[in-house]
Amino acid sequence: MSVRSLLERATAAVERWELLDAPGYQVEHGISLTFLLTGRWARPLQDALHGVWLGHPLHPALVAVPIGAWSTALVLDGLDAAGRGGPGVGQAARMGVRVGVVGAAAAAATGLTDWQHTHDAARRVGMVHAALNGAALGLYGWSLADRSRGRATRARVSAATGYLLTVASGHLGGTLAHRLGIGGDHAVRTAEPRTFTAVAEQADLTEGVPHPVDVDGVPVVLVAEDGAVHAVAGSCPHLGGPLGEGWLHRGELVCPWHGSRFDLATGEPAQGPSTASLPCFDVRTRDGRVEVRRRVPRRTATALTTAEEASR
Amino acid sequence: MKADEVLIAHHDVLRGLLGQLRETTDGQLDRRRHLRAEFLREVEVHTQIEDEIFYPAVSEVSPLLSVAHAEHRQIDDQLATVMRTPVDDPEFLVEVRMLEATLRHHAAEEEAEMFPQAHTLGEDRLEELGQQLQDRQAELARSGAMRWMVRLKHTVLRLV
Repeated sequence: MSVRSLLERATAAVERWELLDAPGYQVEHGISLTFLLTGRWARPLQDALHGVWLGHPLHPALVAVPIGAWSTALVLDGLDAAGRGGPGVGQAARMGVRVGVVGAAAAAATGLTDWQHTHDAARRVGMVHAALNGAALGLYGWSLADRSRGRATRARVSAATGYLLTVASGHLGGTLAHRLGIGGDHAVRTAEPRTFTAVAEQADLTEGVPHPVDVDGVPVVLVAEDGAVHAVAGSCPHLGGPLGEGWLHRGELVCPWHGSRFDLATGEPAQGPSTASLPCFDVRTRDGRVEVRRRVPRRTATALTTAEEASR
Repeated sequence: MKADEVLIAHHDVLRGLLGQLRETTDGQLDRRRHLRAEFLREVEVHTQIEDEIFYPAVSEVSPLLSVAHAEHRQIDDQLATVMRTPVDDPEFLVEVRMLEATLRHHAAEEEAEMFPQAHTLGEDRLEELGQQLQDRQAELARSGAMRWMVRLKHTVLRLV
């Protein structure tokens, strides 16, 4: 049996492990309560941890810290055990473990914040991922304590065990990001329509009420507000929530699923969990009909066009 | 009563409370406090009976449970915002309207999509669940622990 099929069977078993659901909701209630206790800071704090300010999730970026530091520590521990590192190698390994512990704590805070808003299979994989990381963090903490007590061999063994758990957990993290699409961009980003296309009668729009329409099979939301009509993509970049069923709050479009809020003029997330912007459309009105055209973002215009031309 | 009828009736109570709250004027501050506290208590009961009885029962026939949970969370978060906004704050009704939109979306989605899916469980099972929901709802309404928990939540959310 191939490595891939073994790993796939293992992750599929985790994805279907429904026993995790009930404790999962309890854990989420705990996280929710912790944030609510910070009062008006609950939102800015969660947005900072999601990476709304960054434009993509902060968690994968922070994960590099413990993995890098602990990989270095593993090599240094190996050299030290073989008596080939020279003086100071044990100290350096200890520093590596310590940096990893701090980085892992930060990664855990961002990971749990993102995890709260996942569903079904991703939620279960996330729980096992977190449990393995928690165990690894505990082992590294123990290893640090042993290092200061001079129990070098046991410290190296617990660190190496922690490293194995980190690798296993990293596989689940990869499953979450690359297979289950957590942290990815779920907005539909086509370059169409390239020319103004009629999508609705202006008379059908109600001021301040999102009006879902369909443009060549792609959902778009029209919002009439203060004499202007805005058009943005109809699927939330976070997990594809139906923005056409959303509503306006202080002029921002709210996703009905997890409460991401978007600026209608720029598509930028005003509140997470979405870290990506919504695609926007140019709008004009002709003979009482609303027409939209995809507004191609300047920074990716070339890439989009090149890829599109190549596919024709 | 069938389970969906029990829950729709309770949705009407919740929608009604927020509708009344939205209609209050700046001169009715006590009424605002009263309606807000009542909504907190009712929504707590509602979430609990759905989480304990209804959602586990329909988990086999509805793919919407995760979305429903996410929406409960959003209602909870927005309720916390309404709780810490002073009733005489110019933004109070703006936050109430946001809470109302969140609740109305969630209730409408359950009524239009999840409840029809629940009917595949069979009418007898829905009657049985309806009885359980009503019993538990009445029990929670009388429960001292529940009253204590709601009061604690009310106090904490007002403080932070």
